[in-house]
Amino acid sequence: MVGFTEIGLAAAMGALATIAGAFEDAESDVGSQSNPNSQVQLAPQMMNFHRYFNKAISGEPVSYMLYGAIAGTVTWVMMTKFGLPFLAAAAVGVGVNALIHMVFATTAHLGRMASAAEFGHPIYLDVVLSHLGPIAGFGGIATFAIVSLAYIQWALLKHPFPLPLLAALWGVTVGAIGSSTGDVHYGAERLYQHYPFGGGVPVAAHGNITRKAETGIRNSMDSVYFCAKFGNPLTGLCFGLVVFFSTWAGLFGQWGAVIAMGLVTLGCLIVSNRVEKKARESYGTYEDVEMDEICDPV
Amino acid sequence: MDKLIAVLVLITLGSIMVNVGVHYVPVGGAPAAMATATGVGTGTTQLAAGSGLTGLITAAAMSQKPFLVILWNGALGAATMMAITMLVGNFIYVYGVGCPPCSAKVDKDPITGWDQEAYVTPGTEGHGIPTVSFVSGILGGLLGGSGGAMVYYALYKVLGMSAALAGILAMGFFYANAVLASYNIGGTIEGYHDPKFTRLPKAVVCSLVFGIVASVIAYYLSTLM
Repeated sequence: MVGFTEIGLAAAMGALATIAGAFEDAESDVGSQSNPNSQVQLAPQMMNFHRYFNKAISGEPVSYMLYGAIAGTVTWVMMTKFGLPFLAAAAVGVGVNALIHMVFATTAHLGRMASAAEFGHPIYLDVVLSHLGPIAGFGGIATFAIVSLAYIQWALLKHPFPLPLLAALWGVTVGAIGSSTGDVHYGAERLYQHYPFGGGVPVAAHGNITRKAETGIRNSMDSVYFCAKFGNPLTGLCFGLVVFFSTWAGLFGQWGAVIAMGLVTLGCLIVSNRVEKKARESYGTYEDVEMDEICDPV
Repeated sequence: MDKLIAVLVLITLGSIMVNVGVHYVPVGGAPAAMATATGVGTGTTQLAAGSGLTGLITAAAMSQKPFLVILWNGALGAATMMAITMLVGNFIYVYGVGCPPCSAKVDKDPITGWDQEAYVTPGTEGHGIPTVSFVSGILGGLLGGSGGAMVYYALYKVLGMSAALAGILAMGFFYANAVLASYNIGGTIEGYHDPKFTRLPKAVVCSLVFGIVASVIAYYLSTLM
């Protein structure tokens, strides 16, 4: 039987997941991680010098699995060996992880930019120093929310997996979602803002990223300011819905869970199909657009 | 001996299901993140792991229940993650980037029958997740999630490992099969209607070999405990 307490806990997990998703995507934008990073990496070869923070520690799911595992494990040790309450233990765990995160971010960025030296690209030390704080901060908030929702699932909803494993697994999921949803907004919309709205960018133009900001030269913090208005909240919404529905469905018993998740899946399919139809009617076809019109910056 | 045979069957079959499932998942890699290829804008392994491991969490929540319950909960957990991710992905393509979901590999969507070619931006291989890819993704989630749950069941119930160890090993086996599938796909795939889907038999053979080796190692590990 489903109780209000359990539904409340699932909702709390969903809320924490929403925060985790939004800040995970913000961190990947300010550090230019995941798929769009390949274009930032390619830019110096095409003589497009930039002031983006260019890091790719690994794919987002794997790096967030690492952060979840580190923060979860340290939290677990602080709770079980040193008797700290959860919030204090999580603060220590997330703090330790933030230090490791900054080390990885620095080495990844310096390594990548140093490899662009053969094209004459400089390493801007002010970019390194100014971006490390937001990277660690956004990553810390995301990791804290992941560890917290893993704690609720382990301690209160009695999931058989231990806290560090749950934090690692949800880390993979939040990374996969951030990489699949929010990064499209950063990649397709922010890196190529000088192309006509609505057109995908031809592959041949991929190193031709936008380098000018509203004022002056663009850096990655301008990107997170832009993506915080659409890409980040939607990533948060996505991860929040995944965590909420998968936990909420489990409260309906063994077959009730299957039916509930089946209905959610079917609902998503129907909504997506309607959105596709509406987009086709609103935007029309590309038949009348000349190739040059899309390739040349406006 | 009975245990070994049961583990051999479950892990090998689970591995094959994961590998086949990954082939159904529509992924466009970095090009899709630039709205120049159809599918979800991330890597094959990454998305499959994200959905499959969500399935592992929902399957493990039913650890004390019968086999079929664990299997279906794993399958639907992964499918739910895939469906929500693809839906929100489409929101970003349509309302953020401003392009209609379409495929460049087929003239008409095999499910809706809608024209595709006219909506593809010149110079790209499509963008967004059209209905056929969406359905394919859900099928991929179902197969991958149930495969992962099957491996977890073999380790947890048949071999009597702890839930944590079974979870970690199942995650490892899942990643191995997802990477095998990723090599076979070679970057991007739109779903079961993609010509690359015909490469599937090779992947099944690879997973068969991997499953046999993994089962023997898992069985040996369990005898040490």
